[in-house]
Amino acid sequence: MEPTFTSPVRILVIEDNAADVELLRMALEDAQLPADISVLQDGGAALAVFHEAPNLSPAPDLIVLDLNLPKYDGLELLEAARSSARFGSTPIAILSSSSSPREQTRIGAFGRVMYITKPPELDAYLAIGVKLRDFLLETWRCAASGK
Amino acid sequence: MTLHRRGSNSSHWRNMPIRRKLLLIMMMTTGAALVLSGVGIVASDSILFRGYLERDITALARIIGDNCTGALAFDDPHAAGETLATLKARAHVEAACIYRTNGAQLASYLRPQHAGLCPATLSPDAYTASAADSFRMTAYDLTITHPVILKGTPLGSLIVIYDYDELRQRIQLYSATVFAVLLAASFVAFLLASGLRAVIVNPLTTLVNTAGTVSATRDYTVRAPKATNDELGVLVDAFNEMLSGIQSRDADLRRALDERSAALLDAENARDSLATTLASIGDAVISTGEDGRVVLVNPAAQGLLRRPENQLIGKPFDDVFQTIDEHTRDPLSSPVDRVLREGAPKGAGTQALLVTRDGTEIPIDESCAPLRDSQGHVHGAVLVFRDVTSRRRADETSRLLAAIVQSSDDAIIGHTLDGVITSWNQGAQRIFGHTAQEMIGKPSSVLAPKGQDEMPGVLARIRAGERIDQYLAAGCTRDNRAIDISVTVSPLYDAIGRIIGASRIARDVTEQVRATERLAALNADLKRSNERLARSNEDLERFAFVASHDFQEPLRMITIYSQMLIRSYPGTANAKAEMCVENIVSGTQRIRELLADLLAYTEAGADTEASHHSVDLNVVLEKAKQNLAMPIAETGANITSDVLPTFHGYEGHFIPLFQNLIGNALKYRSSATPEIRIHVRHAGNELMFSVADNGIGISPEFHDKIFVAFKRLHGKQIPGTGIGLAICKRVVERYGGRIWVESQEGQGATFVFTLPRVLEITSDTEGTINGTNLHEPSSHSGD
Repeated sequence: MEPTFTSPVRILVIEDNAADVELLRMALEDAQLPADISVLQDGGAALAVFHEAPNLSPAPDLIVLDLNLPKYDGLELLEAARSSARFGSTPIAILSSSSSPREQTRIGAFGRVMYITKPPELDAYLAIGVKLRDFLLETWRCAASGK
Repeated sequence: MTLHRRGSNSSHWRNMPIRRKLLLIMMMTTGAALVLSGVGIVASDSILFRGYLERDITALARIIGDNCTGALAFDDPHAAGETLATLKARAHVEAACIYRTNGAQLASYLRPQHAGLCPATLSPDAYTASAADSFRMTAYDLTITHPVILKGTPLGSLIVIYDYDELRQRIQLYSATVFAVLLAASFVAFLLASGLRAVIVNPLTTLVNTAGTVSATRDYTVRAPKATNDELGVLVDAFNEMLSGIQSRDADLRRALDERSAALLDAENARDSLATTLASIGDAVISTGEDGRVVLVNPAAQGLLRRPENQLIGKPFDDVFQTIDEHTRDPLSSPVDRVLREGAPKGAGTQALLVTRDGTEIPIDESCAPLRDSQGHVHGAVLVFRDVTSRRRADETSRLLAAIVQSSDDAIIGHTLDGVITSWNQGAQRIFGHTAQEMIGKPSSVLAPKGQDEMPGVLARIRAGERIDQYLAAGCTRDNRAIDISVTVSPLYDAIGRIIGASRIARDVTEQVRATERLAALNADLKRSNERLARSNEDLERFAFVASHDFQEPLRMITIYSQMLIRSYPGTANAKAEMCVENIVSGTQRIRELLADLLAYTEAGADTEASHHSVDLNVVLEKAKQNLAMPIAETGANITSDVLPTFHGYEGHFIPLFQNLIGNALKYRSSATPEIRIHVRHAGNELMFSVADNGIGISPEFHDKIFVAFKRLHGKQIPGTGIGLAICKRVVERYGGRIWVESQEGQGATFVFTLPRVLEITSDTEGTINGTNLHEPSSHSGD
């Protein structure tokens, strides 16, 4: 039973590579996840958003964060998001071009985070959409059961 | 008893003060005169009175006799009695009797209580004899016999007895009177004498007091006051003269005494100080008499001769003091004998050994001198000697030190505090070239290049009591060669601890200094090139890291979008285009693999806090096997391993190590099913691991090359980047180990690496690193 989404999921994508953003859209489409995607292209802009007042706009349902960003890298942004009231519990998917065990260990220390290595193959890349959808559903289920 | 009393009396008399004596004499004189005159008066009066009494009684007897003539004549007793009775008027007539011529009593008168006084008859003799009056006296009475004659014819006799009471009473009266006079006269005499004796006694008392004072106080300046010019005055004068004589003589005597006692005190002090000196000096002193026998020996000498004083005094000197020549060991002649014989002092003997009673031989210095009295006559000898053992030792030590100084390779140079050179050893000559004759007396600046003499500054610090430890200085030799010297300067002290100079020890370190300089230059070069290397290494690592990360992105894009090109437009692309895309994909795939290995290689050398983690190599082996699950399954390889130890380290380092070694064994397999054996054993301070396979093996000529990054022995038929073993080598060396291969071509290969045991974490409970456990293989089949 594939779950269905009645309204588009609001996703904040922090990624400087437009080609990657395009691939991500395709992957979400393949996974039939209706998404309202907004994109920030550098770490500075993302950090500004994370430091915004909490009542300005509702937090997105999911943040997709590239690790390798101009100005501030993904880890710094992850810390900033987790220390802000607004993004403190938002599910975050980290996308990285290389699988470094050390990075994975550091990221694993934060909750509600998924680590995904950007696959070097088209089919594998498009499968990311399903991974994001499952991660989101799992997160919601956990939140609903109060864990 | 009597004698004693007399003695006591006479001594009492002698001891009696003169004033009392005088009083007594005067009183006795007066008394005696009075008593004698009294007795004379009484005696003369009694004699006179008795004569008067005899005459009176004779007269009375004549009257009575006359009155009785008639009675007698008529033989009338009554008349006679009446006549006699008239005698009653006379109280002192005791009795009266009248006798007839025949002696018969005619009549009598008797006073009461006096009966019987008259004889009844009178003897004819008495009658006849009494032609005249006769008296008969007794102690108590006077009897008078008076013949009664009438005209020449005797008629009878009258006897009257008269008592002496009257006389006695008279004497008593006189005696009382005389006694009373005596008393009165005595009293008067006492008063007079008391008054008058002062004239004599007072000057005497004064004189006596003066004499007493003088004798008590020995103060001869006192003078008795003179009051009169009589004999007492003369006596006082004489006394005073005598006193002044005594005074002057006493002063003389005292002066003489003082002088004498001062002289005695001096003599005593001299004797005491001599005795103290002898007792306290360190030198041994023996003196002998003329006969060569010991008369005095001080404690130091007793100590050296090992005998107490009582065993030495009086002994012949030669018996207690024997010396031998230190070199010939012949007995030496007694110095005392010679001095006594020749009368001249004998100087310090040399090389004499004193042989003591217990056989000890003590090196001594001795000198002997004659003792002379005031006439210059030799009456003894004194020998002074001392133990010179310590001096000999000091001499030997200083000779030894001098020899050491002379033979030292270092220059040892003595300086005054002004820098003037006072000593110069052979080492100094060798280093600086100057001889001792040339240098002694020269200033220190001679030894330094012009203007570089550091000694004045150093000596100033030495003067302040500092010791200057090793420093480097510039020196200058005789032939003007510049040398480097290592110098230590110490202060030199005199006997009472004053700094009087400095000793400079210098060593020629020119060669060392040059070598050090060369070394320092080399070190600096090395450091520079090391830094360059480190910098370039760092750059390289950064480059490799960045490349491996950042190159992934575009490569990924190339691959994905090439694939998308075919997929998005199916039908439009032909088979050739598809082949082109496949080549693009495989080319980028290959670059990615290279980059991944480059990243692994970089990370193997990157600084991590490796020692903070513990790595269980059994877990590492499992993970490596999981990563290789596909090739293991494909080849059906059999992998066995000992129980592996746990290490301090980082897991991310060890997984590639095991993965590459096992992966190589799988990759370079022979036609047989791969058999991979992993062993570990102790080898000294290291743990030695071996990974042995039954693969194609490696020719020994390539054993070193295979560990170089990107070096490959095989072509494309066996895929690989050629970096796997370089990563292994990097990991092992990073932990202080070594890695090598033991192999022959076609005979399999055994990769061996070591890790230091200090990194091993030993478990007390399990003891997995015990030899037995380590060598007991536990099978891990590659499934």
